[in-house]
Amino acid sequence: MNLAAGFAFTCPFKTNSGNRALEHLPVELSDLNAFKPLIITSLDLVGKKAIRTLTNAFGDSGMTLGVFDDVTNTADLNIVEQIKDIFTKGQYDSIIALGGDVVVDVAKVVNLAVSLKVTDARQLSGETAIRNPLGSFVVVPTAAVTGMETSKYAFLNRKPFISIQLMPNLVILDTRLTRAKDGKIMAEAGLAAFCRALEAYIAPDKNPFMDAYAFAALRFIRENLITAVKNSSDKKAALAVANAAAMSGCAVSNTGRGVLNRLGQVFQDMVHVHPGVIMGMCLTPVLDDYMKKDSRLISVLLYPLTTDDEYAATPEAKRADGAQNALRKFLDELYGALGSKMPRNLKDAGIPPYLMDDIFEVISREPDGDYLCTVIERAGKSPLKA
Amino acid sequence: MQEIHAGGKPLKKAYVAIFLWFTGRAIQAAAKFDKEVKKEFDALPDDFTFALGCLPNGPWMIVGKENGQVKYFGSDLKCRRIHLRLVIKSVDAAFLILSFQESTVMATARNRLMVDGEVPYALAVIRALDIVEVYLLPKIIASLAVKRYPSGWSFGRKLGGRIGVYTRTLLGF
Amino acid sequence: MILPDYYEFCCRVKIVAGHDALEKIPDLLADMGAKKPLIITDKGVAAAGLITIVSQALQGRVAASLIADNVPPDSDLKVVNQLAQLYQNNACDSIIAVGGGSVMDTAKGVNIVVSENATDLMAFSGAGALKRHLKPLVAVPTTAGTGSEVTLVAVIKDHDKHLKMIFTSYFLLPSVSVLDSRMTMTMPPFITAMTGMDALSHAMEGYYCIQKNPLSDTHSLAAVKMICKYLPIVAKNPSDKDGRLAMSVAACLAGISFSNSMVGMVHNLGHATGAVCGVPHGICMAILLPYGLEYNMHKCEEAIAELLLPMAGEEIYLKTPKDQRAQKVVSLIRQMNEDLNSITGGRHARFFSEVKDRDGKQMVPRDVLPQIAKAALMDGATIYNPEDSDYEDNLMVLEAAWEGKPFDRNKMKKG
Repeated sequence: MNLAAGFAFTCPFKTNSGNRALEHLPVELSDLNAFKPLIITSLDLVGKKAIRTLTNAFGDSGMTLGVFDDVTNTADLNIVEQIKDIFTKGQYDSIIALGGDVVVDVAKVVNLAVSLKVTDARQLSGETAIRNPLGSFVVVPTAAVTGMETSKYAFLNRKPFISIQLMPNLVILDTRLTRAKDGKIMAEAGLAAFCRALEAYIAPDKNPFMDAYAFAALRFIRENLITAVKNSSDKKAALAVANAAAMSGCAVSNTGRGVLNRLGQVFQDMVHVHPGVIMGMCLTPVLDDYMKKDSRLISVLLYPLTTDDEYAATPEAKRADGAQNALRKFLDELYGALGSKMPRNLKDAGIPPYLMDDIFEVISREPDGDYLCTVIERAGKSPLKA
Repeated sequence: MQEIHAGGKPLKKAYVAIFLWFTGRAIQAAAKFDKEVKKEFDALPDDFTFALGCLPNGPWMIVGKENGQVKYFGSDLKCRRIHLRLVIKSVDAAFLILSFQESTVMATARNRLMVDGEVPYALAVIRALDIVEVYLLPKIIASLAVKRYPSGWSFGRKLGGRIGVYTRTLLGF
Repeated sequence: MILPDYYEFCCRVKIVAGHDALEKIPDLLADMGAKKPLIITDKGVAAAGLITIVSQALQGRVAASLIADNVPPDSDLKVVNQLAQLYQNNACDSIIAVGGGSVMDTAKGVNIVVSENATDLMAFSGAGALKRHLKPLVAVPTTAGTGSEVTLVAVIKDHDKHLKMIFTSYFLLPSVSVLDSRMTMTMPPFITAMTGMDALSHAMEGYYCIQKNPLSDTHSLAAVKMICKYLPIVAKNPSDKDGRLAMSVAACLAGISFSNSMVGMVHNLGHATGAVCGVPHGICMAILLPYGLEYNMHKCEEAIAELLLPMAGEEIYLKTPKDQRAQKVVSLIRQMNEDLNSITGGRHARFFSEVKDRDGKQMVPRDVLPQIAKAALMDGATIYNPEDSDYEDNLMVLEAAWEGKPFDRNKMKKG
């Protein structure tokens, strides 16, 4: 790590994680000078029980809450405009996003709209200047997350909004909401968090503050994801995965968007495949490339991917190999636990060829588009076993 | 789109209220005959009053000194000037503490409990509360509630003290 | 990685670090809509030429002329009010605090007064008293360090009423912390050693005290590694720029860690020793750190053992059997104190009986230890210590720390 080159780091959100974390919401909102929150969520995506758990958490506070639960996967700026009107008419003073992925993206842009007091939210774009802090914003993730919920990014209709000010003031990880019955949901979220944290951990511009988040995320996933996938009633494992996802959002907000991150986003935008699925497939080819370029870039990965004892016992020259082996073992076990539920390559993901053509076209527009296409080709051809 | 008015948590709130009532009167009782509890309160100012309770809307337990005696003043925050508040952030968190799922120590570690007032006062009150809990609870539960279960207490002190605290708490003297 | 049943973690301070990080201040202020800062510092920092460096770095883009350097070693309410008046009279819009703990605390106090138009600072000392963002505050630490550039606490003394006011709020966190190697280059070895050990105590206590959490842990591990590597280097070679930057970063990481996981016996007894005998905080930390670990060993041996790898590296870690790792950490800290004692020509004390003031007089007479043990009962750090500690425990530890002998764990009452 080269500190002399200088760096900057920020993490604007507070993390509250654990048992009955939601019940502190009235106090937390009061600390943010907020007393009438609007909950933005999706009944389809998070379910009635989660919404009830959140609203019940306010019990005894005497507060009034708004609940907008009509966010769908195809949300765009029209729904932002709709929610903005509700927020303004109802005189809400804060936003709570309950869910993951598109729900949080919508909430971020709604927060932007109401904080800037725009007349028409449909005029907002990634170019909209965001100078000042936005209104109070809390993210309450459920199990189906992408790891970008706490990040400075929001993607609506393929349009990116990027600003530190979009990040929440607070993320609440409550054990009642972070579990998923379906192991695949855990795996997708976990892989996405893992790959984002990994790219941050090996980024050339990494710094110790960012590392603190990325390292924690990597260790949490390595130690807990497989358990969370195999045993849906393990609250602690699921909470660890949720923690990793929240931490990875901070890590990615402090570095450039890596290869895996961008590839995951393209597939998510164009074919609605969870980015974790794609990132998992592309991880091995991308790391192979790093190895070929300079194995020292990968050797740092051994520390989070294994125990302290094993790391210490591995001579420096062998750490890159050790990291790759540890990763291979982890991925094999993970995919093994999921069986056919989780596609191991693009062929198994069942993406129609004509859509793949469109995807290749979008990818090749990137500055390193040629390289990205080779990654996709390799992710498409072979399964993940060594 | 719907607007919801937050409901209540009547059962948990009632449990917490009862426990706080009991504990308040137990402190009053213990201060009368336990040397250590008495010493802690003697070192505090003459009209010292503290409140232990929950956000956002209670319940609360108010205990303070009046004419050299330690008294339980009920549950109304407005009854006296309060020097120290030990604030639990939600009724749920209070329930976790008072049903011994989380010890007072762990609750503080987990940011469930806030000290609003002078720290030396808070420490004195926490030490007094620890002793009262040892009287009120069987060892197996009290060990969960306090950081270090006292080892130097004679059997007589524990038994006599326990009887004394319970009697005075229930009868209110 | 441990995952507690419930934890909270927050560090909203933006960190900007580098060999020329100060030059970024004008842009940082502009991002926050500010351009007329009040620069708060103390005479020591000014005399070391550090304010000149800061003013030059502001490059005329930001008014650099309003400088207040009268912050005393102990933050004082009168000074806070006076500086707040200065801020308001000059229509300032931000504060740059250049200095150590006392300067940071004073700046935070001033920020409360000017942001809330307060006439009585005391009114804001309760929990939840501050409800909104304060004015932009840029913290530029000149030691490595207290970590107060990233803490949510400010301690202001009212010397007239003999009161110590403690303010705790996330809104007290500086907006930005600027870590520039030039700011710590002038620290002589003695100060380098004690502030470095202060940072180490933050990182280690944060790692074993009861509010530890995953993020404070990772910050602690990174801090421990960097401090143990670079502190001896910069104590020996004060002009090592890279080393100085690394120590500033490490102290900041340690500050973030303990700010979110609290501290324990080392700070508990250390605060009391400082209050009763005037011993500098860093010296208290250096001397007490091994004892704090020993006292709590039976409750957190595993956590303490995990500090060995970042502290000493792979070779020593592998050579040390698992059940001896925690004890090895303690001996290595004692070794660090010995090394720093050599490097500083004996000025860095290894135990309390050795601590002397400028005139060579002993600062901690043995007969004062009972008073310190009693004073420690009134300090809040005891809450977060894994093991309970009463007057007798405190005295036992203080006696051992006075003589410089390892603490006899067989004598203690274990919970």
